[in-house]
Parts: sequence; C-alpha cells; structure tokens
Amino acid sequence: MNCYLGIDIGSISTKGVIIDDSNNIICSIYLWTEGNPVEAVKKLINNLKENIPPDYNIKGIGTTGSARKLIGLMLDANVVKNEITAHAIGTLSIHPDVRTILEIGGQDSKIILLDRGIVVDYAMNTLCAAGTGAFLSSQAKRLGVAIEEFGTFALKSNNPTKIAARCTVFAESDLVHKAGMGYSKEDIIAGLCKSIVLNYLNNVGKGKKIKGPIVFQGGVSKNKGVVKFFEEILNEEVIVDDNGHLMGALGVAILAKEHKSNKTYFLEMNQINFQTSAIECNKCPNNCDLLKIYKNNDLIETIGSICGKE
Amino acid sequence: MDKIKIGLPRSIFYYEHEYMWKCFFEKLGFEVITSHQTNQEIIRLGDKHSNDEMCLSMKIYLGHVSSLVNKCDYILVPRIDNYGLTKQTCTNFLSIYDLVKNLFNQKLLHYNIDYKKGETEKCAYFDIGKQLGKRKNEVKDAYDYALIKYYKEEKRRNIIALNKLNSKKLKILLVGHDYNTEDELIGTLIVDYLSKNNCEIIKSHEIPKEMTVNLYDKISKTLYWKQNRENVGSIVYCEDKIDGIILLSAFPCGSDSIVNELVIRRVKAPILNIVIDDLSSFSGFETRLESFLDIIKQKCKR
Repeated sequence: MNCYLGIDIGSISTKGVIIDDSNNIICSIYLWTEGNPVEAVKKLINNLKENIPPDYNIKGIGTTGSARKLIGLMLDANVVKNEITAHAIGTLSIHPDVRTILEIGGQDSKIILLDRGIVVDYAMNTLCAAGTGAFLSSQAKRLGVAIEEFGTFALKSNNPTKIAARCTVFAESDLVHKAGMGYSKEDIIAGLCKSIVLNYLNNVGKGKKIKGPIVFQGGVSKNKGVVKFFEEILNEEVIVDDNGHLMGALGVAILAKEHKSNKTYFLEMNQINFQTSAIECNKCPNNCDLLKIYKNNDLIETIGSICGKE
Repeated sequence: MDKIKIGLPRSIFYYEHEYMWKCFFEKLGFEVITSHQTNQEIIRLGDKHSNDEMCLSMKIYLGHVSSLVNKCDYILVPRIDNYGLTKQTCTNFLSIYDLVKNLFNQKLLHYNIDYKKGETEKCAYFDIGKQLGKRKNEVKDAYDYALIKYYKEEKRRNIIALNKLNSKKLKILLVGHDYNTEDELIGTLIVDYLSKNNCEIIKSHEIPKEMTVNLYDKISKTLYWKQNRENVGSIVYCEDKIDGIILLSAFPCGSDSIVNELVIRRVKAPILNIVIDDLSSFSGFETRLESFLDIIKQKCKR
C-alpha cells in the first residue's frame, strides 16, 4: 500500500507523520530538535522505520518548518513548503470549516485566517519572540514548576495577577516584582498565561477579525491555562486537538500525496553520510555566509549566496 | 587636463534624478562616477558613520558617500525639502547635506529644492552650473537638453510598466520608496525571488506620475508626503489590475509606518507588509513571500 511522509522541523521540536491514501495517520513521532535538525531527522527516520507496517511503501516525502530546505535536500523530498500553507492544509483536513488558526510555537507565533477552505490572510510575529513557548518555559524554570504542569496550576487560580503584556523583558521584571510582593504562585502563573494571550492578540492578531470556529495549535496549545484565557477573551469556543502539534507535518504529507511521484523512498539514513559546512565567501564585498551541503562527500547544494556564485 | 569627476551616491535621491543628472553633466563635459551597487561593505561603511536612530536607507546612503570619497572631485548631495505646499519629502533627509559636510572631508555640490521659498528644480540646476564655473547660456543648453531626454526616457519607461499590467503572469505591485525597491540588497532580493516564481513585478514608482497624482484621495485626503502620495495613488490605479500588493519599507521609516497601516485597512486586494531592518538573513522573507504567493494562487483558482 502507498503511504506518504511529512516532516515538520521546528526550532524546538521535530514532528513526523506517515499517512495513507485517505489521510489517516498511520504513525507519528514527536521529538526535540536540540539545535541539530540533521541528527533529529535521522533519529526520527530510524524510529518511524520500526513503527511502519511492512506492507507500506513511501511514495512521497514533504518537509516544512524552519529547516525545511536543508532536510528537503537531505531526504530528496518532492515537496518543500512553508509552515503557513502546511498548517492550513493539515487543519482543513480535520476541520473543513475552520475560520481561524491560532498557533504559538517555540519561537514564533502565527495567526491564519481562512474563508471557505482557503487561506485569505495571515500574520507572523516579526521583530520579537515575546509570548512564545520559549518564554513560558524559561519562566517555568524561574518559578520551579514543570512546564507540563503550568496549565493545571493556572486553572487553580481565581484571581490572575496582572502582568505587563507588551514585552517579554518587562513581563519578566513584572513577574519577579509580583513574586517579591507575595502573590501566590497559582495567581502569577495564571497571570502569565493571560499575558501570553493578550500579547498574542495585540502583536500578532492586531486588527484581524477573529471568527469561529477557532483552532489553537502549537506547543503552547497544550497549556490549559492559555486555552481558557483565549476562550474568555475571544468569547468563542477554542478547539484544541490531541494531534494539534502534528498539523504542519500532516499538511505537508497531504501535499506530498498530491504531488506524488512514481519513486519509492527507502528510509535508509544510516548509510548516507550527510555533512554541512558554513564558510564566509570573500570573493566580493557582500561576504555572504554560505552553507555547503555534502551528501556522501559530494557537494549537492550551496545556500545563502546573493550573487549565485558557489 | 582630465575631466572633472562628479560622484553620485547610488541611494536615496539617485533613482529619481539619476537620468537627468547624468545627461546634464555629460552635456556640460563632466565625468559622472556612480558608487557601486549596495553590498555588505557599503552597509558596514554606512554603519560606521551613522547613529542608531537613522533608517536603513540613510545608513546605506552614508555608506555610498563614504565609498566615493577621494575618488571624485565633487559629490552631489541634494537637499530636497518640498515640491510645493503639500508635497513634503522626508524631513530626515533634509539633514543629509549637513551630515555629509561634517562627516567627510570632500568638496560637495549642493542641489537645493524648496518650492515654498521659490527654489525650483531649474534654479537648482543653474546653481550647480554656477558652482562648477559654467556660463549661464551653457547651463541653459545643458538643462534643456537634459529635460527633453528625461521626458523621452520617462515616457519609454512608463510604456514598459503599463505593458506589464497586461501580462498573463501573476501580477504583483511592489510598493515602496524607489531607493528601497531599486536597491541591490533590499528590493532586488525580493524581485529576484518573485521573478523566479514566475511573477510579473510592477514597482510603484514606474506607474506614470500624472496618472497617480490625484488618485490618492480615494484612500486618504490628507496625505502629507510626496512619495507616499504617489505610492498610494499607484495602489488605487492598479488595484483591480493586479493580483497582490507587497508593501516594502525600511525600519524605522516614519511615513511608511503610518501610510502602510492605512493602506492595509482600506485596500481590499491581498497585501503583504515587509519591514526590513537587517539584511543578513533572507529566509524569514522567503517564508512570507512563499506563503503570500500560495494565498494569491489559491484565490485566483477560485
């Protein structure tokens, strides 16, 4: 039987999904990128190889996420797509009538607006990473609470502390100050979750009309406190799927299915020697940072050149 | 004796006046030297000479001036205030002449335009002629020659731009100041990416000014800046002829930040707003441009 692999390589986590011809997820995996997308994908492929049923052949591979180009070259993928389109397509396969997708990930956040099944508008955080997962996890460490328990703590509070929502740096000093004044941990955590929501709506959702049905995705969607405050402030139900973190990978797997080739992919990662080296090209005053990608010691691609020289 | 060399920094005022300046100087028998297209070296030089509150375009301008110092006899540094009561140019750029004069040890040519005080473009050209020691009738000949050549060239460019609007490809209007959209590092990267993806790009300043000049009031009646008026006019003119609009501005451009927000709220066509502040990484723009093209293509299909 035919199946298709979608990989979403994000800043914090790497997600892989294998689907069949009717978009059912056969197996999936979620692991940390740990700053090394190549190793993470190798691990992911080895893991998937064990889980995939023996009678399935991979007919297409798609990649998305910040390292999509690199991994796309490495796996010889037939589709390399940006996160926004991938997320929209993945979500539409599960919620065909979705109007708004909120996404808060490790280092970026986006809002995608859809109308009758196509993307009409989107926004991403541009200059600052305030109110993303990375901020929450660093604050969790400061407060000595596991990030997984953040949501449960937040739900216990009846009176969230007010925390400045404009900027992460000020939110952090505000938080230290409030803790010093003696506010309870639950109230501070709830305040933090609320400030994430306000920050998101002010920065990313600025001026956009948010209509239901609303789907909330990304690592932060696992935080029940943030979900609760989104519902409270937007006055709409916010849907969070168990598979919400896999939507990017699912979307790009569906795209790989639509662009399928006759080629069959084998998940043999260990035999391939894959290396990258970064150099500064000094041939002209631009001094581009070039990233050279070698597969089995052959140069297959150079990324980052402005003038096109290799 | 060698010809006197006149340096033109390839930034801010260059793209609007370049053709006419070149014709004028060549007719008078001077050699024109243009600085190299913007590269990282020029940005580094600009950074060295600028302070932190200047916009990227101004830093680039100072970099260009710096690269011309000691390579020519004069550098032309304009001070363009306004083209009439309601046609103000960027007020930050007014300081450029004094900045350059204080920063570099180099002879400058000044080119002042201030219609409110009666300093017209013609006066500015005659003033340049005077500074270079040319007789009045020589300057007049050169000015008339340059003006005629300029109108011809402008007409030719306009026809090319208007033809682009009939293209069968995906048509994108790139809106921004000409010193950003034409710049080798800011605009060209985006234009190259879009042309590689089979799009026709129309830059806002290519649309004939006489067509856009009165259209801006459909968006706002009280626009203050000359170039923003023309840009907004070009959006109104092209809105139903194109598939998408990209707003390109350099951080922290004051006039763009107000006008672009206005455009986003009042124009219905799909809009992508790109603000450039650091040129070291293009991948962030690539994600935005790619998804923007996806949106437009899906819309066209429906």
